[in-house]
Amino acid sequence: STRFIALCPTSIPASAGEGVGLEEEQRCRSELRERFLRTLIKMTNKPVNFDMYEGVQVQAKFGASDIDVLNFQVSELQTPIGVQKEALLRCQDMISFSFDV
Amino acid sequence: KKMKKKSKPPEWSAYLSKLVNVSAHNNHQYKGWVFTVDPVSASVVLVTFPEENQPRVQVVLGHAVESVEVVKDGNRGNTSRLASIFSSHGATDLST
Repeated sequence: STRFIALCPTSIPASAGEGVGLEEEQRCRSELRERFLRTLIKMTNKPVNFDMYEGVQVQAKFGASDIDVLNFQVSELQTPIGVQKEALLRCQDMISFSFDV
Repeated sequence: KKMKKKSKPPEWSAYLSKLVNVSAHNNHQYKGWVFTVDPVSASVVLVTFPEENQPRVQVVLGHAVESVEVVKDGNRGNTSRLASIFSSHGATDLST
């Protein structure tokens, strides 16, 4: 989406002008992407630990991601100053996140 | 063997099921088996199997990744173990 292009310039473009390799590249991309989306599905309704920049660690129950994976909707966000019932986390503010399966 | 920031999806496929060390922003280190690398955000999905505990999934966001180093090659056993964690139990089949 145009919103994604505007907000997330780190998107990795496909190799240009290599007709033979392009199909193989798209096959790789679709497999890798499907696995990533499965990871997000697996995370739904689970408590997730988020490592943010500046050493901030928060925990919340993951609800959903927007289509561009720029924001996560979470519930019961445990912050250093209290619990936020519903919140949006910007993925650009995160270093990593983890959860048990 | 290190991954450069500009590498492409076919190269990322080579990391699948391997044990890697990911260095991220501020010297954070993450070690685990690679389930996938998101081709849009370059985020790396790692799985660890702590003893007597449930498997743990760690996702390092692409913008924070500085390097990825292969520690150990994958084998058929852990490839299917990784796949089984994320298999779609209870998913609805939409095609007929």
